[in-house]
Amino acid sequence: MKIKVMAFASFREILGKELNLDIVGEATAAGVLAILASRNKRFKEAAFEESGWLRDYVQIMINRKRIDPRQDLSTKLNDGDELVIFPPVAGG
Amino acid sequence: MITIQITNEDFCLDELVRKAKRNDAGALVTFLGTVRDDGIERMELEAFREAALPELERIRDEAVARFNLLSVEVVHRIGSLAVGESIVAIVCAAAHRDEAFQGCRYIIEELKVRVPIWKKELGKNGERWVGHE
Repeated sequence: MKIKVMAFASFREILGKELNLDIVGEATAAGVLAILASRNKRFKEAAFEESGWLRDYVQIMINRKRIDPRQDLSTKLNDGDELVIFPPVAGG
Repeated sequence: MITIQITNEDFCLDELVRKAKRNDAGALVTFLGTVRDDGIERMELEAFREAALPELERIRDEAVARFNLLSVEVVHRIGSLAVGESIVAIVCAAAHRDEAFQGCRYIIEELKVRVPIWKKELGKNGERWVGHE
């Protein structure tokens, strides 16, 4: 299935603004983050603790809705879903 | 008139006030956020526009409902801004000042924590993303 990944701010600088992943079989938010980490060492270091836990400041939206990365990373993704990765917002 | 914009262009606060004015409003409160000189030269702002606009609209609707606002104007800039330039303007009109002050405060505080917009400060000593340690 195809998953569109978008990244903003510091994560855009590492991953680029948009990339499309082709995933065979079942996909989850955690699985997408693991694929990105396996392909990109800078992303792995920026997003994950050495212990493998996702860093606290990493924020995720799936289909424009925020999820809680501490609880909802096992959320199943469907073909065509959009996953967005970003650091804490700082507008205003 | 109730409008929300995320734009690369500068804006005119007087124009926003003119648009927000209504005969049944006895108070207009404006908030103008600007680039502060913290030893930086400029700031780069980016937005996830497709998510930021609906979130700003939700915040505006909440403020209108809670504080009986009669009109709201919100403009947030993105792109490269120098020290002193305007970042965001919020204009709230209400029948009375207390509602207008509270509504304006609510919108800027919620904007800062909910709307997907990011700032990077750039200076002689390097660059850093605000709020991202």
